Amino acid sequence: MVMVAWTAAAAVTGLWLLLLLALAAATRNPDVETGPATANLAPQSPAVVDLITGGWRLCDEAASATLLDLAARGVVGVEEIGPELSLVRMRRDPGGLLPYERLVYDHVRSLAVDGVVATGALAEGSRDLGRWWKSFRRKVIAEAREQGLSRPRWSRAHATLLTAAAALPAAVIGVAANISDKDHEAGVGAAVVSFAGLLALMGRLNGERGTAEGARAAAHWLGVRAHLGTTGRFAEQPAASVTIWGRHLAYAAALGLAPRAVTSLPVSTPADDSRAWSDYGGMWHVVHVRYPSRLLWGRPPGSAVMRGLAAGWFTGFPAWMVLVAASAFDLWPDGLVVPAALAVGLAVAGPPILFALSDLTGPVTVEGQVVRLRRFRDGGKGGENAKWTYWCAIDEGRAREVRAMCLSGELWEPLREGDRVRAVAGRRTGWIRRIEVVEGSRLRDAASYDDTGEHLMDAPENLGEVRILPDPDAHGPTDPDRTRPYRHRRRE
Amino acid sequence: MIPMIVTLAVVAVLVATLVSVYNRLVRGRNSVDNAWAQIDVQLKRRHDLVPNLVETVKGYAAHERATLESVVAARSRAIGAQGPAEQAAAENMLSGALKSLFAVAEAYPALKASGNFAELQQELATTENRIAYSRQYYNDAVLTYNNAIQTVPANIVAGMTGFTPREYFRAPGEERGPVQVRF
Repeated sequence: MVMVAWTAAAAVTGLWLLLLLALAAATRNPDVETGPATANLAPQSPAVVDLITGGWRLCDEAASATLLDLAARGVVGVEEIGPELSLVRMRRDPGGLLPYERLVYDHVRSLAVDGVVATGALAEGSRDLGRWWKSFRRKVIAEAREQGLSRPRWSRAHATLLTAAAALPAAVIGVAANISDKDHEAGVGAAVVSFAGLLALMGRLNGERGTAEGARAAAHWLGVRAHLGTTGRFAEQPAASVTIWGRHLAYAAALGLAPRAVTSLPVSTPADDSRAWSDYGGMWHVVHVRYPSRLLWGRPPGSAVMRGLAAGWFTGFPAWMVLVAASAFDLWPDGLVVPAALAVGLAVAGPPILFALSDLTGPVTVEGQVVRLRRFRDGGKGGENAKWTYWCAIDEGRAREVRAMCLSGELWEPLREGDRVRAVAGRRTGWIRRIEVVEGSRLRDAASYDDTGEHLMDAPENLGEVRILPDPDAHGPTDPDRTRPYRHRRRE
Repeated sequence: MIPMIVTLAVVAVLVATLVSVYNRLVRGRNSVDNAWAQIDVQLKRRHDLVPNLVETVKGYAAHERATLESVVAARSRAIGAQGPAEQAAAENMLSGALKSLFAVAEAYPALKASGNFAELQQELATTENRIAYSRQYYNDAVLTYNNAIQTVPANIVAGMTGFTPREYFRAPGEERGPVQVRF
């Protein structure tokens, strides 16, 4: 009986999977054949072009291509100062930008100092990158749908059919679970879990698919790609060459032909842990951030003293045992066993204890701008038990290289990159005891800038849930859990 | 036989190290030269804007001869300056003269209202900003290069092959303050 029930469950689930596959096959993206090579630029924006020529999946290039397009249209300017330094200059107040263009423009504007931001600094800022990208993607898709180039894979009818059909295998699995385990009545739980699993699978296969119009547009743009691929040598062009190439460079970027220009405009890529851009002092400049080994760094003075004592004991005691053995064989004088063991222990314990005492008696005040906030896993199991080391790098404007210091999670949480801070810290132990924000990062008080831009439009149908945005002060957007796992090349 | 092999190996390692250090120094020196060339481009752009500005002001305030002449003289000196230190001094003098010119312009509403004048003013402000970034870029390159040629063991190679420290391009009084371009 149990065997029959489970066989029936497997059969019904298999049928549902067949239905899913059949619908997936029926709703697959249309075949797109490259059109004849042409220089004729159709009216779609580079971001939409990126979407429809990338199998209806938006790639990282889209944001950079949008910025290049803004530069080509004179909204911003890109100027090359040196091989490793270019500037984006705000030019004029743009009217009538599309929502995703406004999102990119607002990001650049939020970083600009005297109307200028270094291109490398475009990855900076305290926005939540994951949320920002999601918003950008939604807006591009909405635009593509409005132009009739894209639509959701599952229509309402498809979604209803699959959901209703999923109830059947879930129910049969529930019955089978009940028959096989009458004591625990696991049927309801098994049914709910399997129903949720089937719906998750269905959601996983959802996404955008092209329309016939979209396929025609994509074919045209692939023709443009073929043309641009043979002219211009876009792969080697820097972003500043947009002055010469205009919108062609923006479209080349969207079509994956201008990697150099794209990588120099990191609008949608996470900021580097070790190479930060700071505008402390009024001009954007590179600051190299080091995260020293925590052997003698980044620990509170009390902990440093205890560790020093422990290290002294664990080296002094073995040294004493070795010396006792050596003296037994007349290899070491008896009278020097204890002093030598003590000397070894003190030599090991001394530096951390001295550093800690020195920092306890003479902490220094550090003033500057937070350029990196990171937390790295430091032992413990995952989830709630995970242990973290919290790092904060402060640019004091004195050097191009700074050593990040550690601090407690409570002090770290409310900080944001870009905050001007005053910290009381130990220079030798690298531990921040107190820290206060003198001036918040630009985003904290900027009512005009919202990194999601959700207020600009309603969430389009079937583009995923609209997130309830958490209170930024309760959980800073710089939380690496939310920003760091973002992969460079997104192919959803 | 073994001593000879060891000697040869030591010599080979030494030569490889020397070549590597020398190449690094050459790259650093070229970076400095390149950064200076970038400053030069921006300064030339600034110098090119000055005659247009003078002509525009002359059209509205011809009798401000002394101010106009001081701008022209400062420009000539800036064009003829050699080396970062002299260039920086000359450029500062030109900045001062331009400030006087813009102060004079305040007294001429018709000049202030002129589109051409406003455009030139904006263009100069943009150029000043670019010069500031070019200067920062150059000074960073000089810092890296000077550090490279003055630290062990590269200083030995630098001394043998004639690498000398470069001058910074300093603008007095602006080292740490925010860049304020106000004409």
